[in-house]
Amino acid sequence: MAVKIEMKNGLAVCYVDGEIDINTSPDVKKSFDKLISSKAPKIVVNLTKVTYVDSSGLATLVEILKNMRSYGGRLRLSNMSPKVKSLFEITKLEKLFEIIASEEEAVSTFV
Amino acid sequence: MAFLRNNRDPSKKTVIKVASETQYIRKVSSRIISFLEHYKVDEGRIFDIRLCIEEAVRNAMVHGNHSDKALAVRTAYWIDDGALNIEIEDEGQGFDHIGVADPTTPPHILKNSGRGVYLIKKLMDKVEYNEKGNKVTMLKRLK
Repeated sequence: MAVKIEMKNGLAVCYVDGEIDINTSPDVKKSFDKLISSKAPKIVVNLTKVTYVDSSGLATLVEILKNMRSYGGRLRLSNMSPKVKSLFEITKLEKLFEIIASEEEAVSTFV
Repeated sequence: MAFLRNNRDPSKKTVIKVASETQYIRKVSSRIISFLEHYKVDEGRIFDIRLCIEEAVRNAMVHGNHSDKALAVRTAYWIDDGALNIEIEDEGQGFDHIGVADPTTPPHILKNSGRGVYLIKKLMDKVEYNEKGNKVTMLKRLK
């Protein structure tokens, strides 16, 4: 698992590559620590290359969202595979997160 | 990681026994997924089966055996009437799966735990716990 961060239009776009599960979740969380501690106001997480997420992965994304909300930041998730998206639907986390179909849309409409 | 029985008849149980160390979770699921290769199961079902195995084995290790490496998690799997059956048992005192809070409701949706059992119940076709609460049996139809 790897996380690459790029700045686009003044916001951070994070590309997660790999699976987000019980073994990789701590590293995923750690990858966001710097952005969270610097109170990044807007983050888009591109999940194109994420083929698998378990409950630990969902919990990690919830934790990142909660941390961002604590300082008024906003998080968007984009490019989810249908299967990963179905987990957000089943767990009703789709209501909690801003889930956008494409990174382009997520970045360009992030006001 | 030990195979207690690994026979060629898919209707007979094959048993994998592992210590309560999370590094073995993926090995258990991989073994069962590779067992399914001959059945041409679609990707969506494979995803669900893998997820439910890994959630159940993790629950057994972490909540059942309290991550005590001296305690084992036993996983048995077999095919019956076009369905995969999986039995996962820990050596703990059991837990109250009915008492697990619904993680989709407002007080719990922001919590970091509780989604594993919920996902298993949603993604598998049948889920049963024994009375003690230390063994879960799951069934997923392959087509």
